[in-house]
Formats: sequence, structure tokens, C-alpha cells
Amino acid sequence: MSPRQLTGTLLASPLLLLLLLAFVAPVLLMVPLSLHPYEPGTGISAGWTLANYTNILTDEYYREVVVRTLVLGFGVTAICLLLGYPLAYYIANAGPKMRLTLTMLVIFPMLLNLVVRSFGWIALLANRGLVNNLLIDIGLIERPIKMMFNLFGLLVGMSHIFLPFMVLMLVPAIQAISKDVQAAAYTLAASRLRVFWSITLPMSAPGILSGSILVFVLTISALVTPRMLGGPTYKVMATLIYDDFLQTLDWPAGAAMSFALTALTLAVIGLSSRVLKRWGGNA
Amino acid sequence: MPALTLDRLEKRYPGHVAASSVSLSVHDGEFISLLGPSGCGKTTVLRMVVGLIEPTGGRILVDGRDITALPTNKRNIGLVFQSYALFPHMSVFENVAFGLRRQGLPGSALKQRVDQALASVRLSALGDRMPKQLSGGQQQRVAVARSIAPRPSILLFDEPLSNLDASLRDEMQIELKRLQREVGITTLFVTHDQGEAMSMSDRVCVLAHGVVQQFDTPEAIYHRPATGFVASFIGRPNRLTGRVVRATGAAAAVQLDDGPLLPAAAAEGMAHGAAVDVVIRQEDIRFAEAPAGDAATLAGRVAMRSFVGARVQYLLALGGTELIAEAVTNGPHAGLEVDAPVRVAIESQHVYVTARAAQAAAA
Repeated sequence: MSPRQLTGTLLASPLLLLLLLAFVAPVLLMVPLSLHPYEPGTGISAGWTLANYTNILTDEYYREVVVRTLVLGFGVTAICLLLGYPLAYYIANAGPKMRLTLTMLVIFPMLLNLVVRSFGWIALLANRGLVNNLLIDIGLIERPIKMMFNLFGLLVGMSHIFLPFMVLMLVPAIQAISKDVQAAAYTLAASRLRVFWSITLPMSAPGILSGSILVFVLTISALVTPRMLGGPTYKVMATLIYDDFLQTLDWPAGAAMSFALTALTLAVIGLSSRVLKRWGGNA
Repeated sequence: MPALTLDRLEKRYPGHVAASSVSLSVHDGEFISLLGPSGCGKTTVLRMVVGLIEPTGGRILVDGRDITALPTNKRNIGLVFQSYALFPHMSVFENVAFGLRRQGLPGSALKQRVDQALASVRLSALGDRMPKQLSGGQQQRVAVARSIAPRPSILLFDEPLSNLDASLRDEMQIELKRLQREVGITTLFVTHDQGEAMSMSDRVCVLAHGVVQQFDTPEAIYHRPATGFVASFIGRPNRLTGRVVRATGAAAAVQLDDGPLLPAAAAEGMAHGAAVDVVIRQEDIRFAEAPAGDAATLAGRVAMRSFVGARVQYLLALGGTELIAEAVTNGPHAGLEVDAPVRVAIESQHVYVTARAAQAAAA
């Protein structure tokens, strides 16, 4: 080991040690746990089984939850990208004062506790919430529309909560695109719109990728907001894992679901990186 | 009709003027350099011509047509950037094809035009590469090919060679000049390098503080500098100060501060006793044995010697003042040692005298 490598290892070792003990070890302990059968009433038995994993694929309820989690993840990512990109583009091209003000405004909601923000959406989206009451009062609808405990409520709430992450990842990526390169396209008879589609957008691929991965991962692993806006019936993988571990005490099923969630995340990250890199010319 | 006319073009920012009443008239197929130190406004002028900066006054005419209000993408003016500004996510072929696609060229004609442009910069084999797989010089060529492919009415260069190393720069100078001749395109070339400007251009426009100092052939700029700025910017100048001690008709004499008396050609505003800036080019100082004609002969000694390859530079101590002079390495004066006595001759026409700015004279 060269002195340089040794220094690096030494510098990283305190964190490395902590992660090994407090993170990697418990995760590894969960591997055997996920392979034991669980008997309701008696608890975890000593035998070995793959049923906890096969259930996720075969059980209709589990399958629905997995698909719902993925739809939610992709949905929130898409909404954040669509809403966040124009804002990030504007911030990246604004003057220094405006840029600071807007960045502060983007960060501002993150200063509020997550529970408070989620509760805010309950006040808005509930059957007797602000939105429904308003729509009934102005006579647009007669009965409240169900906006919570379903996909709509989760999409709205989580897009709002994770939008700042997308914007904060996109701004530096858009800023990093050389003004000269965009000007060059403009001198070659490209319209403003063409410059954006052919140059700016593909060249911001790294930001789109990192922002999307961040929002996707945060969304499918989020617990608080899905619990509050999804309620006791509308489950996603993260809330299911929580229930398995803390309510039904079916740890093996929870552990298997956790690994399934991790595998899913890695697969989506791997695939999307490859696609976006090719598009952005970094393949 | 001139291919490009700048008519009192002006760009004011709050607190400073980047370009002040710049007027130029460029013939069809001419190669013009905008030369000046950084901050002189040359890039501002270039960017106004292509439409990336909006002028605060004046007009730009291409073939007699006023294009001042046209957006960049409607001007059909090519620009080669200092940073090359290639599209990193597109192949070399697609980079060159970008402008042609905007013209709606059909596939076969498009391919032919791209191949033609790549051939003209000798990169035919590299169409499939990505820009980052190319060397700096190759990227430069792609940038040129991309700019000429749509056949612009005017081609602009913004310090295109300053990112290349010295040997490659010389090579590219010749190649760009050759290409420009072949295509016959009217060219405006921005540079801070006088050698580059002189060797490539039909005419050179020297800019300082946003004002055109002189617009003439390289020879005229060199031999007959119109302003003190041009005299002190072109060539390898010694910059000195002095005072006019005699001004009669066409002849004058200047007493250098703490230095010798020099004959000079009389210029406007040279009254007796006026404080002046004096410029003497290193290459105009001749090593001499005896006085001749109206040349001043000065005696002194060598204070320092440095060998620069093709030339030898001497720092000469001449009666209280110091001048840098040079001799060709193969010539008779290349071997002077430090402390050796020397005599040099400076002809009056090579002593450029200009009135000093008011505050400088007061100080």
C-alpha cells in the first residue's frame, strides 16, 4: 500500500468502522433472518425457507404493493422533474441576487418538520379538507372527492416534499453547461427552442440523472409521508416493512421485503444511469 | 459594396464603454484582424457582429443590408470560439451537420457537405469520433469545419489559437489562412497576438479602450503607427519618457529623462518643453561603428545579455537610460559580453514621440 493510499484509508477508517459495525453487520444479520419461516402465534421458527421471497412475487397483495411503490417512485420522480426543471433552468440563468433568493425559497420548506408538512397536506386533501370544502362551496362538486389514502394523495404530497432535492441537483448541472456551447448552436441557425432541446437538455443529463435517482430512492424508501397520507390501508413497501417489524412482528417477511426493495432500487439506478449516459454522450 | 460594415458601433455598460464609435469597412473575401490587449473591446465588437451582444448604438451591415436588429440564428454568420464550444454529446459528423440540418438539407446533400467540410480541415477519417476523443488541435479543426459547413456570409474567430501550444499554433495559422483563401470567405479574426494578426491578415484593426487606433495593412501599422498606443503595442518596444527640447519644421529633438538627446521626426502638438512618451523598438536599434545621416549615435555598455535562440537580446546602459536592443544570432554583434562598450545608432524616423496624457505630465 502506497503512503498516499495508507493516508486515505486512515482518514476514511473511523467512518468505515462505524458503518461496518452499525450498518453492514445488522444488514448481514438480516440475511439469515429473512430465510426463516414465521408462524403466527409462535414466532420465528428454526427451519429454513425461501417462502418470504417467493411470496413477494406470487402473493397478489404483495405484488400490488411492489407495483404501487414503483409507480409512486416513477410518478414522483417524473412530477419533480417536470416541475423542477423549468425552475432550475431559471435559477441557473438568473443573476446572483435572484439566484440566492430563489434557492433560499426552494430550501425553505425543508426547514419545516416532515410530519408538519405531511399534516399540512392532510388538512388540504381530507374529505372535509380545504380543497374539498372549497369545491363544494363554489358548487363544482356535490360530494367530496377522495384525495387521500390513494395514489393521488401520495403523489401530491411526496412530489412537494422531494421537489427541492431535484431542483438543488439540477441547478449546478445546468449552470455547468458552457454558455459558449449554447451560443455556438445559436450561431448555427438554431432557434432558442432548438438550442434547448438539442444542447441544453441533453447536456444536463448528469443533473437529471442524479436528481432523479435521489428523488426516486427517497420516494420508494419514505415512511412518514406514506403512513400519514396513505393511511392504514394504502400500503407501500416501506410502510409494509415497518408493519412487519413493529406490528405483526413478522421479521422474516420484513427482512425479505427490505432486500427486495434494495434490489429494486439498485436495478432501477443501474438501468437509468445507462440510458441517460448514452443520451448525454458520456457512454 | 463592402461585405461587412460597422457604422459607429458602440457598446456602453454602466460605468464603462466597451466599444466606442467603432467603424470598419471590410471587403469581400478580406481577412481582417481585430488586435488589442485584453479588455480593449475586440471580443465585444465580435460578439456584436454575431448578435450575442446587443449594441447600444450604431449599425452593422452585411452586403449593404442592416442586420443590427436580427437575432443571432437569423444572421448566417459563423463563429469559432476560443473554447471551441463543440457539442460534447454529438459525434464529429453531427457537430458539423448541426448547422446544415437547420437549413433543412436532405440526407445525401447533407452528408456530402459535411464530408466536404471535414475534408477541408483534413479530418475526413474522424467523423464517428466524439469530441473528447480528439486532441486540442483536432477539436479546433472540427470547430472550424462546423462554422464553414453552412456557408456563412462572414466567418468570425475569437482568439481561436490561444489554447494551442506554440508549434501547433504556427501550423494552424498557416492552415487557417490557406483555408480562408480557398473558401474565399470574409473573415474577422480577434487576437491579442500581434504576430498572429500581422502574418494572417490583409488588414489589421488595432483597438484600445474600445476605440479604433488604426485600421491599415500590417506593414503600415508596423512602419507608420498612427497613435502612441500603436507604436508602443506593435513590435518589441522600449517605452521611455522625455521632453521636447527643439521642434523646428520636420525635425525635432527629445531629451530623454535622465538620458541622452535624440533626434526625432516632428509630430503634431510637439511644442518646446512638452512632456512626451517616447517609443523605440528593439529591432530599430542598430549596432554602429560611426555616426551616419540623421541617426543619433549613442555610446554605452552592455549591462545584460540573454540568448533567445534566433536573437540575442542586450540590455544596454546608454548615458543614464537603459534600452533593450537585439542582434540576430548569426550576425556580427551576437557575441558581445557584459560590460563590453557599444555604439548604437537610432534613426530619427524610428523614434516615436507622442504627447503624454495630461495627468501623467502633471505627476
